[in-house]
Amino acid sequence: MPGFDFSNYNRNAALHARGVPLPKATSTGTTIVGCIFDGGVVIAADTRATSGPIVADKNCEKLHYIAPQIWCAGAGTAADTEFTTSLISSQLELHSLSTDRKPRVVTCMTMLKQHLFRYQGHIGAYLVVAGVDPTGTHLFTVHAHGSTDKLPYVTMGSGSLAAMSVFETQWKGSLTEQDAVNLCSEAIQAGIFNDLGSGSNVDVAIITKDKTTLKRNHIKPNERSKKLKSYAFERGTTAVLKEKIITKKELGRFVDIEEVEPEGEKMDVDT
Amino acid sequence: MSALFSQNPLMNGPNYSFSDTPVSHPNEAHGELREHRFNPYTDNGGSTLAIAGADFAIVAGDTRLTSGYSIHTRYSPKVFKIGGTTADQKDATIVLSVVGFAADGTALRERLDAACKMYRYRHGKPMSVNAAAKRLSTMLYQKRFFPYYVYAILAGLDEEGKGAVYSYDPVGSYEREMCRAGGAAASLIMPFLDNQVNFKNQHIPGSGEGHAIQEREKKPLLREQVEILVKDAFDGAVERHIEVGDGLQMMVITSQGVEEHYLPLKKD
Amino acid sequence: MDTLVARYSRPTYDETVTEDMEEELLDPVASGLSLKFAMPPVAQPSSWLRSATDDRMNPDCPIKIAHGTTTLAFRFQGGIIVATDSRATSGDWIASQTVKKVIEINDKMLGTMAGGAADCQYWLAWLGMQCRLHELRHKRRISVAAASKILANLVYSYKNMGLSMGTMCAGVTKEEGPALYYIDSDGTRLAGNLFCVGSGQTFAYGVLDAEYKYDLSVEDALALGSRSILAATHRDAYSGGFINLYHVKEQGWEKHGFSDTNPIFWKTKLEKGEFTNVTSELV
Repeated sequence: MPGFDFSNYNRNAALHARGVPLPKATSTGTTIVGCIFDGGVVIAADTRATSGPIVADKNCEKLHYIAPQIWCAGAGTAADTEFTTSLISSQLELHSLSTDRKPRVVTCMTMLKQHLFRYQGHIGAYLVVAGVDPTGTHLFTVHAHGSTDKLPYVTMGSGSLAAMSVFETQWKGSLTEQDAVNLCSEAIQAGIFNDLGSGSNVDVAIITKDKTTLKRNHIKPNERSKKLKSYAFERGTTAVLKEKIITKKELGRFVDIEEVEPEGEKMDVDT
Repeated sequence: MSALFSQNPLMNGPNYSFSDTPVSHPNEAHGELREHRFNPYTDNGGSTLAIAGADFAIVAGDTRLTSGYSIHTRYSPKVFKIGGTTADQKDATIVLSVVGFAADGTALRERLDAACKMYRYRHGKPMSVNAAAKRLSTMLYQKRFFPYYVYAILAGLDEEGKGAVYSYDPVGSYEREMCRAGGAAASLIMPFLDNQVNFKNQHIPGSGEGHAIQEREKKPLLREQVEILVKDAFDGAVERHIEVGDGLQMMVITSQGVEEHYLPLKKD
Repeated sequence: MDTLVARYSRPTYDETVTEDMEEELLDPVASGLSLKFAMPPVAQPSSWLRSATDDRMNPDCPIKIAHGTTTLAFRFQGGIIVATDSRATSGDWIASQTVKKVIEINDKMLGTMAGGAADCQYWLAWLGMQCRLHELRHKRRISVAAASKILANLVYSYKNMGLSMGTMCAGVTKEEGPALYYIDSDGTRLAGNLFCVGSGQTFAYGVLDAEYKYDLSVEDALALGSRSILAATHRDAYSGGFINLYHVKEQGWEKHGFSDTNPIFWKTKLEKGEFTNVTSELV
């Protein structure tokens, strides 16, 4: 299996043994949940990504696309959840194309667990896999070492206990779609407020036989408060020793310049 | 060696580690740290901050108490009045903030409070801040070989009525300063304070070219300005540090006495 | 006076360490600089302390003690120059840029601070107390040799307990003339003409050794002290902040400012043409 390069492993292990701290991976101390309802399945996640005690991203996406009707919520090492889900997504797409059938959730789950088991837990991906396929509605959890569970409601990540407490007090059989969304949101909020690794907003994905609805930032219970004062510096506050201006026209000698309108999510900043 | 490789002082230590690190002498590498099973300290998170003004001092701290990823309580004060005549500390003139290990913080606060009270009964007057500051230093140093895991800040008004802030390391080295942030988010708040209180890296626009540019003049801030800085500093810290949040406790020391304020912070 | 002396006199190392702190509240002497220390309840207190506080051995240690310094002192015909930087670091974090690393033991003698900030602050203050007691007992000023030996004996009694200090005692007396001693927490005590101590010592030595002469004028000696610290703050990441300059004479010491290194650096570069390795040219 190509993909991983272990050539620096021994060097890094030796450095670590001599007390050199390893670089920190952005890990998602996270709350992710999933819940089956009559006619589909809901998965939900918080949106905080941390690096140690520091919030690395206040609004990251932890719900990953696998197939149109199969989605995955990821906890653990951010890069691992990201790449594992996209790798399996690609393989599943090829499989679906060559068999001319819709991909199944069990197939996805099996591919994930076999991939993760092969790497003996070194790939730190903890996943909630949910989807609807011709065989019905399915909800699984996959752990980094390769074990899986199949349950009507599941939670994972550092906020899993807080979230599970909500399910264990409020869950009942045969929920409506709205009930399931509300229950999952409640569970995520329990994680957001009671687990330090989780925070910010609630993302929800609803998968039914006919369609998938992704509700990005379904609930935003932690809006940033406005600063009481402007911290914009007057131009000229910073001392400048030397100045050199390169105009767009000069740059045109080396590359072609094309005006592009900025787009995408804007980062919230002061002033 | 470690200084060369850790890119960020905020992220001390490895986030993940090799479980099967090859070592030449198994006992040496594993033994040194594993030898002692005596682990009396926990990091209870949280952050504190103090700023001195011309005729006042402000000490603030968040009220969250954590360990690991859990919140133990959302209201546990880190800022305390010290050395009043009674238990309610109505006539206290000195304020102490402690952050680090909460149990050591409580022990230290009680000891300093008792010492200040004894001073009052013996001498018939409250202890001056500089005397209390020195006393706190010796108290911390008396546990040099079994330290209090505490970053303390002491504040009050000096004998001329000026705001005084004293900051400490865990074993009692101390210094009088204009401002200081302590605890989990100290590395987030302190650079903000350097810039906004001591005007570090700020110059007067148009006062000169290149090296001739004049630094912005340092002058003590007004109380209203300092209160705004304190609130904004904590709002910022709450956004980016997971162990800071829930509530902001603020003590304002003036010649009239000590005022206490409480403001809510984000709870996620 | 004798009762006062008796009250403050203790054997240098007090074996009876009381566990409860109540006593100190009632005993006004115990609340001062004493030799009573609380100990962790383990077999090897020093190695436990090391694992909890030594950030070089254990980068994850919970308690980070302030460290890192450049200090220097040298003897010359006009007395002694003492100069230090002002930075305190704990791990990679700059804990303070405004530390006073020259400790005024009394109005005639100075001590410098390198290593653990608290260790130096506490024991040099304690040394000041011992010097005053010597004056009361013997009705004359203590010699620098004696003062430095009190400190050396004290730190030696705590050897391998985890104290970390590299300090210099500077003073001028009638009997000794300008006297300079180096004392460290291993128990070393050396008399000498010139010392640099701390993480930036090598950089300071580089400048100081090249230009040092005993016959230096006061003005040149002060400039050399300042320039040596500047060199160290320029190359040592753990040194920086302000240059703290003192001149010790027989009448007592004299302070020559606590000055920001940044303007001094640019002044040295632009006016004297030094530090040509630093440019603000854009490539």
